Amino acid sequence: MLEARNLRKSFGELVATDDITLEFGKEEGELVFIVGPNGAGKTTFINLLTGFLSPDEGSIVLDGDDITGMSANGRVDAGIARSFQVVKVFEEMTVRENLRTVVLTEQGKTWSLFSMADGHEEVESQVEELVEKFRLEDAADTVAEELPHGDRKLLDVAMSFGLDPDYLLLDEPTSGVSTREKEYVIETIVEVGRAEGVTTVTIEHDMDIVTEYADRVVALHQGTVHGVGPPTMLETDDELRRLLLGVGDDE
Amino acid sequence: MPERVDRDGTPAYRFLGVEVTRREAAFLVLGVVFLFVIPDIASLSDSLQLSVIHQGLLFGFVAVGLNLLLRHTKLTSFGHAAFFGTGAYATAVLARYAGVQSVGLLLLGAIAAATVMAAIIGVLSLRHTGLYFALLTLAFGQLLYAIALGQSALGGSDGLPIRPGPANQPLLFGTAFSPDVYQVLTYYLTVVVILIGLFVMYRITQSPFRNALDAIGQERTRARFIGLPVRRYVWAAFVISGIYGGVAGGLYAVVRQYVRPEGTLFFLRSGDILFMAILGGFRTLVGPLIGGVVLVFLQDVGQDITQYYEFLTGVVLLILVYGFPRGIVGSLRSGGIVNARLSELRREPSVLSTWGRTAAQSIERKVTAALTSLRIILFGVD
Repeated sequence: MLEARNLRKSFGELVATDDITLEFGKEEGELVFIVGPNGAGKTTFINLLTGFLSPDEGSIVLDGDDITGMSANGRVDAGIARSFQVVKVFEEMTVRENLRTVVLTEQGKTWSLFSMADGHEEVESQVEELVEKFRLEDAADTVAEELPHGDRKLLDVAMSFGLDPDYLLLDEPTSGVSTREKEYVIETIVEVGRAEGVTTVTIEHDMDIVTEYADRVVALHQGTVHGVGPPTMLETDDELRRLLLGVGDDE
Repeated sequence: MPERVDRDGTPAYRFLGVEVTRREAAFLVLGVVFLFVIPDIASLSDSLQLSVIHQGLLFGFVAVGLNLLLRHTKLTSFGHAAFFGTGAYATAVLARYAGVQSVGLLLLGAIAAATVMAAIIGVLSLRHTGLYFALLTLAFGQLLYAIALGQSALGGSDGLPIRPGPANQPLLFGTAFSPDVYQVLTYYLTVVVILIGLFVMYRITQSPFRNALDAIGQERTRARFIGLPVRRYVWAAFVISGIYGGVAGGLYAVVRQYVRPEGTLFFLRSGDILFMAILGGFRTLVGPLIGGVVLVFLQDVGQDITQYYEFLTGVVLLILVYGFPRGIVGSLRSGGIVNARLSELRREPSVLSTWGRTAAQSIERKVTAALTSLRIILFGVD
């Protein structure tokens, strides 16, 4: 279980995360979606959990161990992987090389100076598996910077899955993706996540997607938890609807 | 024995992890043979001096090491002469003060000293990236230069001779050779060391370690978030590249039998080394080595022809950056700009006039722009 306990983070005057206490993965493999208007502190929250930022107050606990002071790469080893809102992949590598790099790292093989990068059979079979699962076969030998946007997003997510995480934190995996591709991206994530029992926490703006796939929804507003509940909450909680749809005095 | 493999349809051979097509194998054999016959060629020609080529190869070898950082982690070190100088001075000190006579032991000393130096400078400068990293390496390099210049034990600006014990020069295979033979033998030693060094570098650039370095160079944040302790990897690469510098510095000292701060530690040497990597083609393995030979040769010839030989180096750099950004090897190899242009020319010779016209037009545009700027500077905007 991954827990956030009383997390606070402010940037100067702005309090981005204000005393957030949440837990994920009580049920293994659950799909949690984080919703909230712009500036609610969603990305900051994920940045805190993954070690991109460190909190001013509060702690992060993984399976009972305090990991608040752990380095970002240490957390990856501990089983927490993430993706970024703006795709961050290794631009000059092909899709396959990107995934190979990830799997080599995950298996602790990157200190090997004299073996062949493409000569590790277990790594190669896992890379092929990822290519297939994320349906990137046609693009496998394309350099990342030449990929269409949807494939870049898929590659980004595939790389996070390649780390064999227990917890996967995705920052808007569907942003900038066309409506038609959106379903495809999110379905792949859900499918693979369910199959491997990965607890995924996803920031998402598209309420149709949230309603359709979420096991649980966390709503953030102005750095605090507005509510946690089943996806039906989006229908029943009028104030939340007002916040998310941006009608009312907040906008 | 070489094993036959298939690379995208062309037959290739794999031996000790090195994979080459037939064409590449031919170039490889030719290159190695050429390296070994250079002393004979040099003895026939007046303008070609063995010592110049030898020095070019040694500095080029430092550039091969530097290239591990430049090409993969995308860090620009402006102080790689520090490791060359450390290797050279360690050799001199060992020979002079510890009486070490064997070339092999002297080189091991050079490697050890350069490794320690690279480890320390690496820890201190890799806290930063980009410009600050470049400036820190420059600063540490100059610091070592100042120390060598100021310490009388290191000979100050006069430098240190390498004459261990009663022997006039270091011993190869436990034997003192006559100076002429010694020069040729040490040259062959350099060639062997370079071939081993290139082989090791080739294997490193095929390994998972290279993937980690590439990841760090291309997207540092993501590299952290796939679980790479970034700084540790860059540090390891920095130390490896420093070792290449140390080996070359040690050989330089053994060959020259004299080390001076200007020739080994001065920051212009660091600039030269960086220039060599770019001149030869930093996206290739052997480019930096060839860049080293070409640059040292140009500087040597230039010195004979004109006192403004630094100007010559500048012109070469300009031509390179504007016309052939991939360097000598990068431009010459298949798919490079030179091959592309040549095949175009073979297909359609009239393309030459088109190129001429484009070149004339772009020169005309640039001259007009320059004149306009000059007019504005001199007379102001009207």
